[in-house]
Amino acid sequence: MIAFQFVTAFLMIFMGLYAFLYKRNLIKLILALNLVDAGIHLLLISLGYRLENGLLPTAPIYTGYETLKGTPMVGPIPQALVLTSIVIGVCVLSLAMALTVNAYQQYETLDVSKLRRLRG
Amino acid sequence: MNVLPWVIITPLFGAFSMPVISLLGGKFRGHWAVIVSGLTLGIAAKVFYTIWKSNEILVYTLGDTNPIGNGVKFPIRIIWEVDLFGALLALTVTFVSFLAILYSLEYMKHDTGLDKYYALTLVLELGMIGIVITGDIFNFYVFLEIMSIASYALVAFRNDTWEGIEAGVKYMFVGSLASSFILLGIALLYGQYGTLTMAYLAMKIAENPTLISKVALAFLVGGLLFKSGAVPVHMWLSDAHPAAPSSISAMLSGLVIKAGGVYAIARIIFGIFNPGLHSYLKAFDMPALNLNTLGWIIIFFACLTLVIGNAMAVVQNDMKRLFAFSSVGQIGYILLGFGIGIVAYGDKIGEIALTGAVYHIVNHAVIKGLLFFIAGAVIHQVGTKNLNELSGLARRMPFTTLSFIIGAAAIIGLPPLNGFASKWLIYESSAMYNPILAVIAVIGTVFSLAAYTRVLFTFLGVESEKVKMVKEPGNAMIVPMLVLVIIILVMGILSWQISDKIMLPTAKMLEQLNGEYIMALLKFIGGG
Amino acid sequence: MFGYWDALYFIYAFIIGLLISYLLMKWAEKASVGTRKEGDGSKIYISGEDQDKVIPQFEHLQGYFTGRHVMWGFIRGINKMFLTFRREHTGLLTDYVSYLLITVAIVLGVMVIWG
Repeated sequence: MIAFQFVTAFLMIFMGLYAFLYKRNLIKLILALNLVDAGIHLLLISLGYRLENGLLPTAPIYTGYETLKGTPMVGPIPQALVLTSIVIGVCVLSLAMALTVNAYQQYETLDVSKLRRLRG
Repeated sequence: MNVLPWVIITPLFGAFSMPVISLLGGKFRGHWAVIVSGLTLGIAAKVFYTIWKSNEILVYTLGDTNPIGNGVKFPIRIIWEVDLFGALLALTVTFVSFLAILYSLEYMKHDTGLDKYYALTLVLELGMIGIVITGDIFNFYVFLEIMSIASYALVAFRNDTWEGIEAGVKYMFVGSLASSFILLGIALLYGQYGTLTMAYLAMKIAENPTLISKVALAFLVGGLLFKSGAVPVHMWLSDAHPAAPSSISAMLSGLVIKAGGVYAIARIIFGIFNPGLHSYLKAFDMPALNLNTLGWIIIFFACLTLVIGNAMAVVQNDMKRLFAFSSVGQIGYILLGFGIGIVAYGDKIGEIALTGAVYHIVNHAVIKGLLFFIAGAVIHQVGTKNLNELSGLARRMPFTTLSFIIGAAAIIGLPPLNGFASKWLIYESSAMYNPILAVIAVIGTVFSLAAYTRVLFTFLGVESEKVKMVKEPGNAMIVPMLVLVIIILVMGILSWQISDKIMLPTAKMLEQLNGEYIMALLKFIGGG
Repeated sequence: MFGYWDALYFIYAFIIGLLISYLLMKWAEKASVGTRKEGDGSKIYISGEDQDKVIPQFEHLQGYFTGRHVMWGFIRGINKMFLTFRREHTGLLTDYVSYLLITVAIVLGVMVIWG
């Protein structure tokens, strides 16, 4: 059986792809980009989730917090990966916003299908 | 002292100290960037020489001496694993970037925001070096994104022109989606095998090749084909490369599509999904991936790229756009070499094809750098890149025209220049493997010849109004062009010696018939 | 190593070629120059172009060469292919995305079925 978080992750990725194919507003495209990214982040983070002996997992590296004996610990690496990936995502987001502002100044529209002077 | 980390630290420090340096005055920024990239070139040359001399893979663990974790038997730390291929590309990257920064001293003189320009250029260089030296697949993704974000920003650097903005928007959105696919592939691999170290991942996949690993491989290859600009996902390339400032176009066309695209494909296929390992498994009736299929996919895209890229170059009226389409075509040759290297793995033919592909990467970086520098010189002096207005430059800019003739001859593959040697290896191996592929490769070259003949005739024609008062650019632009012309001539004359001494060991090390890439890591596991 | 040749042979061939082309150019200059070396009576001989001669059907080549004119016959001959390629390069971001998805889908499908 596939856990529901994987289904959600792939649904988010496909929603992002759908928006990329059928939406024309640049702002919506930025949202689509983030949706795809967020889906992948959800996939990554749920890879580290473990349920052992019916006990909920605890935070990985958290000093000052006594874990119960036998309690599983969630995988620390996916969390580090997602943190890195979120930072990259923020960079992409801000650059995309800046480019959108510039595109609006040059073309006076946010419709991406109007941005087609380069072709052939 | 191990110099390897300094190849990253130097450009990183240079990039982020740029705002402080620019406080000293406008002139220092460019000089500082030249100094930093020169230092990086020296360090990369040292790394390359060390590896070439010892012919061994260099493994460097970040923050420790041993990649193996305490009390466990598998690598948990980030490692950098540099073989000769990575070191050769690092050398090429630093060399062309150094010349591009030197070139932009004069080319970008009239622009503002130069501290950001130089900082981004150094970050771009850093990202490419990171990609070619890393041995950890997530670290690879991080460096890929560093490189990509810097190149998105640099394509749109002239944000007062519509061309830069439009190309930047298209490159950025689709490029980020391709990066997301690569991340998805990495996430699937991590979920299945629980490790990120490339060499260890290779072992794990060989132990248990599942459907997930095939899907992950497909996502990685699909995303990286986009990054390398293969047809039918070449359109961003032909929009973005002409829109960037010419010094950046030289880096994008010469380096970015190689380091972030073709190199990464080769590293992932030969490093993680080694065809030899899987055919060995298959010989013992064990579950294994069929890498021949992937080889044929890459050959298929390579043939499309070869023909369409070079053919589109013929009908362009914009000089830089013509060069960009020609870059697409040349990527096709490199992919063809790698594709034949995969399907004919372990054979003499495969080795020749890989040698040709590696050689062509270096040659194309040098030649396309030169051609974009020439385009930049023409734009800087004449103010247009439309071929219909550029007739008769030869009398006013003789040096530029001469270097263009040499560059064009080299990229078409005329002997005795360096482009011939690498293309000959690719033709020869494809003819030995399957003559139809060789015919397709030659068709691509015919188109390429036609495209460059158009530019050449334009340069040699009767003077048009625009070029009557033009003169040669200044020294900071002439010197990088001269250096590249000399390199092309020298590499052309010594082509077989270079091929024997450098390219063949590189191809062998990439092919890793005895699994050297994995063994370099296993050494630590066995010892600790 | 594979192949039988040395770069030096090509340098010899290149020098001989240069010599031949120089002689050809000298001959052509003698044949095509008008009454004077400079000024109005002269004709320019470079890249085989004669300014005064108008070839029927090729009137567009008159005057100076521009980028559009070179390789005219070649481009004309396979015009249909170029038109198709140029039409495919639409400049729409949506198309770029769909090409990326198609590429990934091809690789994915082939790898899953025959991998």
